[in-house]
Amino acid sequence: MSDAARAFHQRIDAALADRALGDALALTTGRLAGGRAAAMAAFADAEAARDEARRIRAAAIARLDQLLERFEREATARGCRVHWAETAADATRIVTAIAQEARVTLAVKSKSMVSEEIELNAALERSGVRVVETDLGEFVVQIAGDRPSHIITPIIHRSRHDVARLFREKANAAPEDVADIPAMTAFARRTLRAEFLQAGMGISGANVAVAETGTVCLVTNEGNGRLTTTLPRVHVALVGIERIVPSAADLAAVLSLLARSATGQALSVYTSLISGPRRAGAGPGPAKGGEPDGPDDVHVVFVDNGRSRLLGGPLAEILYCIRCGACLNVCPVYQKVGGHAYGGVYPGPVGSVVMPGLLGLEAWSELAQASSLCGACREACPVRIDLPRLLLEVRRQAAAKRLAPRWLRVAMPVYAAVARRPRLYRSAVAAAGLLGRMVAKGGWIRWLPGPLGAWTASRDFPAPATRSFLQQHRLRKEAAR
Amino acid sequence: MTGARGRILESIRSGLVRAALPSAEHAGVPDAKAGRGGSIEAMVERFGAVLTALSGRVHRAASPEVPALVADIAAAHGVRSFLAWDETELGCPGLLEGLAARGLARVDYRMPTDPDARIRLAQALEPIGLGVTGGHAAIAENGAVVLVSGPGRGRLVSLLPAVHVAIVSERRLRPTLADLVREEPRLLDAGSNVVLVAGPSRTADIEMALSHGVHGPKHVHVVLTA
Ligand code: SF4
Repeated sequence: MSDAARAFHQRIDAALADRALGDALALTTGRLAGGRAAAMAAFADAEAARDEARRIRAAAIARLDQLLERFEREATARGCRVHWAETAADATRIVTAIAQEARVTLAVKSKSMVSEEIELNAALERSGVRVVETDLGEFVVQIAGDRPSHIITPIIHRSRHDVARLFREKANAAPEDVADIPAMTAFARRTLRAEFLQAGMGISGANVAVAETGTVCLVTNEGNGRLTTTLPRVHVALVGIERIVPSAADLAAVLSLLARSATGQALSVYTSLISGPRRAGAGPGPAKGGEPDGPDDVHVVFVDNGRSRLLGGPLAEILYCIRCGACLNVCPVYQKVGGHAYGGVYPGPVGSVVMPGLLGLEAWSELAQASSLCGACREACPVRIDLPRLLLEVRRQAAAKRLAPRWLRVAMPVYAAVARRPRLYRSAVAAAGLLGRMVAKGGWIRWLPGPLGAWTASRDFPAPATRSFLQQHRLRKEAAR
Repeated sequence: MTGARGRILESIRSGLVRAALPSAEHAGVPDAKAGRGGSIEAMVERFGAVLTALSGRVHRAASPEVPALVADIAAAHGVRSFLAWDETELGCPGLLEGLAARGLARVDYRMPTDPDARIRLAQALEPIGLGVTGGHAAIAENGAVVLVSGPGRGRLVSLLPAVHVAIVSERRLRPTLADLVREEPRLLDAGSNVVLVAGPSRTADIEMALSHGVHGPKHVHVVLTA
């Protein structure tokens, strides 16, 4: 086993041993997945909408270069400044430079997975800019010095008692501030309001970018996304280059699925559609007749960080993703181990493709092993991404790069050679079946001898049926005759 | 960073040549959903049911009744001063005058460009308890009101106060967002900030327990005018 794999297995063991985490995961993923199922069932055009959204995302990725250029042109015409970052380090350098040029010492941030991906907070803090996370969940993550464990609901690994303790210890909350969840919510509002009012810069991500008007679309339920992009004089939006769609009609189609898939809502409470800074009035004089509020400067930072490389390879389909989190909630592995076990910014089925795709197979290919390929993620995905196929592809690439466990590298070619010879294959299956039933206990194989032990170390396998699939298939065909 | 721009676009182009994308079948099918939606009454009913389920409140009133209605809402929350869009932008003639006559004081504002002055003004506006806006449209399917920023149409009005009242003509109801966009393809260019607001601010981040008013208004009233 590689070091990365060993660390991954240790995290999984720790997660499985944590009873409270197991309960919290069951509650949250159950509610979110149930909410999604109900919302989609009540949505008359759900299946047609998924087809349409997939078509829109596919068509957008197929002419990504043109859409980015169009966005840049339109956004610039509306007073935005557009920046391009090839790597995470470039992106943090760009944002830091914007902050320094505008003499910003305090920045408020609306939840952004790209900002987690590029580790923006640490970079800004190093250059003397204090950053405050304003999404309630992300605020808790920040004061705990923690990491989000879900891309939509970041603190599903924490109980109300955890949050109460953190507010008391790290945010000077009084006992009555943490009496119950509404009190804690009110405390967070007061604490973060003070920061919002003073911040010089607001940092957001983008759920979608619309090329024809250079518009950044940002959705939140709390309203922190609106405050972040309204109160501070400078707004910086980090936009993954794949987030783009051509038109407002395409945006509407994606929005009809995003919140339904994420939380079961028909629409998030707030959808902000931002096309440049506040506009000055037609008349002379300072801002006479113009907009009374909104940022004076809006920057859009396009972040590549491995995405364009991904486009040229067999994992390109993952770029259709709209980051709804539905695949996490329905994944039997995520439901059991939670987001931290995956070790990266993006967990679950989407993360098991995105992390190795963006950051390299060496450290991250192991995540794709944490899947039973049951297909629940593909069923839930609003843009019908074939996640099991992509997970297999990550495994295949890892095997080709000799990153897979040694026994598997030896076993797979043997399997392939046997499977290509039907007679040999049938007798091998019969022998394996016999052997399997010999080591099985109570219908499950929990232990295999020799190098096969690496496989059963983290998996139980149902005992083989007395008849192989091919035998059963032949019997059925005969019976039907 | 023109170098980076060129390299990213080049990398995308060379990727697209090799891309192993599943076929992007461009259907271009005629939209079966266009034109459906039904009567204003049906949309009012749907909008009301959806927004009520989101813990918002829906009222129906003729324009002359609106000042008294808004004043009642203000009184219920113990509010004496308010933020509002300009009279011409509210779509309800006489509303501001009516509120003034009922002892409510409108606070007008314009954010300065000077950083410190800006912070001082934001802090001064924060305690104001009510904001009154005029909706550009409303969406029956999801309970959202569409607000378009512009001169006389500040964004903080629907954001800072704990209570937000939006006035929308019921003729501006549309079945879905897609319907509105089909009718107004340039909707996103109506202002630098177009926002859809579907009910009060909410969070379920702690143990999936719903609570309202975490950052935005805790109380949202939509007044549908005839
Ligand atoms: S892969 Fe699909 S289900 Fe998973 S987050 Fe992305 S869009 Fe949602």
